[in-house]
Amino acid sequence: MKNFYNFKVDNIKDLSAQEKKFRSKELDLFSKKGFPNKREEAWKFTDLNTILSKNFANITNDYISLKEKKFELIKEFDHNYLFILDGKLISNEFKFEDKDKVLIKEYDYKKQIPVNNQNSLNLLNNALATGGYYLEISKNYKFTKPLVVYNHFSESIKEQIISYKNSLILNENSKLTILNYTNTNSKNNFFVNSFDYLKLKKDSNLENILINNDRCNCYFHNYLKSDLEQNTNLDNYILSTGFKFNKIDIEINLNKEHAKSSIFSALSLGSKEHQEIKSSINHNFKNCQSYQKIKNVLNDQSRGVYQGKIFVKQEAQKTDAYQLSKALLINDNAEFNAKPELEIYADDVKCSHGSTSGSIDLNSIHYLKSRGIPEKEAYKMLINGFLSEILEKLPDDNLKKFLIAKIGRQINGY
Amino acid sequence: MLNIKNLEAKVDNKHILNGLNLDIKPGEVHAIMGPNGSGKSTLANVLSGKNGYETKGEIKFDGQNLSELSTEERAQKGIFLAFQYPLEIPGVNTNIFLKTSLNSVRKARGEKELDTLSFLKIVKEKSSELGIDEKFLSRQLNVGFSGGEKKKNEILQMKILQPKLAILDETDSGLDIDALRIVADGVNSYKNKDNAFLIITHYQRLLDYIKPDFIHVLSKGKIVKTGDAELGVELEKTGYANFI
Repeated sequence: MKNFYNFKVDNIKDLSAQEKKFRSKELDLFSKKGFPNKREEAWKFTDLNTILSKNFANITNDYISLKEKKFELIKEFDHNYLFILDGKLISNEFKFEDKDKVLIKEYDYKKQIPVNNQNSLNLLNNALATGGYYLEISKNYKFTKPLVVYNHFSESIKEQIISYKNSLILNENSKLTILNYTNTNSKNNFFVNSFDYLKLKKDSNLENILINNDRCNCYFHNYLKSDLEQNTNLDNYILSTGFKFNKIDIEINLNKEHAKSSIFSALSLGSKEHQEIKSSINHNFKNCQSYQKIKNVLNDQSRGVYQGKIFVKQEAQKTDAYQLSKALLINDNAEFNAKPELEIYADDVKCSHGSTSGSIDLNSIHYLKSRGIPEKEAYKMLINGFLSEILEKLPDDNLKKFLIAKIGRQINGY
Repeated sequence: MLNIKNLEAKVDNKHILNGLNLDIKPGEVHAIMGPNGSGKSTLANVLSGKNGYETKGEIKFDGQNLSELSTEERAQKGIFLAFQYPLEIPGVNTNIFLKTSLNSVRKARGEKELDTLSFLKIVKEKSSELGIDEKFLSRQLNVGFSGGEKKKNEILQMKILQPKLAILDETDSGLDIDALRIVADGVNSYKNKDNAFLIITHYQRLLDYIKPDFIHVLSKGKIVKTGDAELGVELEKTGYANFI
C-alpha cells in the first residue's frame, strides 16, 4: 500500500543537534509501528490507519507560516484567554487576575514529560510537536474567572498534521476553570495530534472543559495526562463534537491520598462522525476517588466508543471508583461500543461499572406529546435532558448556561 | 363535545374495546368504572392518541375526527389525559417542561407565547392552589416525586393547559386522603359549564369528592350499564359481578 503520509524532522526549524536526534529516533519508532489499528487493545474498535488512508492522500508536517487572525471572544461570560493558532500561542490576556500569579510562556521541548504509553501517536507527537504553551498558577491563587483557550486552525491548512504539547501546572492550593474551545469550520482535511499535561499539586482544584464550536473536516487525537497529588480535585468535561474523527485518550494518575477525579461527557454525534473516549484511571494511592459518567447520543451513521479502564494498585486501599456509560441510539445505522476494564490488586475497594445502550423511550415521548409538545421538540427535550444531566455538579452561572446552550447546539447539529 | 361510536381497539390482535359508545357534553362529568382488564386505560390511551392500538369506529371531538390528529394536536385542541403512571423524565426541568407545554398549546391556538415572567406568575398561582411547593418545579420532571406528588403535578398541568376535556386515568390510585381531597378540589375548582371530565376509576372513593353526572360500567370493552351517581354507591356495595 502506498504511504499516505510523509513526515520529516527536518521540516522543523531551529532544532539543536540533540533535539534532532531525539525526534528522529521517535519518528523511526513511529514509522515501524505506523498509525494504530485494531490489533492494539487501545484501538480495539477503530482502525485509524484505514480511516486516515481513506481520507488523506499525503499528510505532511510542512512548516506553516502563521498569518495573524482575528477571533471572536465569547460574550456570554467574563473570562481570561489564550489565543492559539495552529497550535502556536499567539496572545494572552489575564485581565481578571493578578498577573504576578500567572506564568504563561511557550512550551519548552527540552523538558519532555515522559509518557508511559506505547501508543504510536505519542511517539509521533514527540517527533513532530512544535508550539503549545506552558501555564503555571502560583501557590494559593484562585482564579476569579475562567480561562478560555481559543484553539483556532487556519482554513488554508490541508493534508497536514499539526502536533503540539501543552502543560498546565497548578501549584499548591490554587484553583482554575479552563475551557478548551476549538473553533474551526475548515472544509479541508487535516490531522491534529496533541499532548496535554496537567499537574495538580496538593489541595489544588481544576475544572477542565473541552468543547468545539463548529463542524470541520478534521481528525483529532488528544492524549491528556494528569498527575494528582494529595487532596486535589480534577473534573473533566468533554463536550467536543463536530470533528470527523476525535479520540481523547485520558490518563489520570491519583498519586496521593484524597485525590479525586472525574470525567463527565455529553456528546451528540451526527452524520459519519466518529468519537472516542479512552480513559485510564490509575489509583496509585489509598483513599482516592474517581468517577466517570459518559453519555452519548448517536444519530445518522455516527460511531461512538468508550473504553474505560480503572487500575487499582495493591496499596490503593479504600479506593472508590465508579464508571457508567449510557448511549442513546437514534438511528439504526449508528453504533456504540463500550468496553469497561477493571484491574484491581487491592482488596478493600469499591469499584462499580455499568454500560447501557438503547433507544429513546417512546412512552416518555408520548407523555410530552400529550402535553401539546410537538414530536420533534419532545425528542430534543429528552435528548437534552439526557445529556445536560452531566453538568449537575457545576454551579449555576453564566458558564453553565453557555454549556447548556452548547449542548442544545450539538443536538441541533450546529 | 366528545362522541364515540362503536369504538373497537386491539393490541397484538387481542380485542380490548368491543364497540364502545359514549357521548360527553360540555359541563358534564362522566365516570367510567369497571374491573381490571375491562379496557378503561385502553380507552384513555386511545383518546390520547397513543401508538400501538389498531382501532375501528369513530371518535369525534368538537365535530372533528380524532383519528386524523396526532397526540400533540389533540392536546392543543383541548384534550388532556392525567396519566395513571406519570412518567419520570430525567434531565428535564419541570418548569421548563410546563412552559414549553403551555406555549406549544398557546401557539397552536394562535395565542401569544408567554415570556418567563408571565408564565411564572401563572404557575405560582396554580401550584399554590394545589399546595405544591415551588421547589418541586425546579426539579427534574417527576423524578423522585412520590405517587401523590406526581398526581398533583398532573392536575397542575391540567390547570395550566386549561383543556376542554380532561381524562383522569385512575388519578386516585396511590393517593392518601389528604392528597385525594386536594386533587378533587383542584378538579372541582376547574370544572365549569364549558369543559367536561371523564374520570376513570376503580373505586367510589374519588366520586365522593367529585360528583359525576353519569357513571358507566365498562366490561369486556363495552359499556354495559349507565346510571347516575347512585350507581357508584351501589357498585361499592355489590361489586361488579351483577353487571358482567
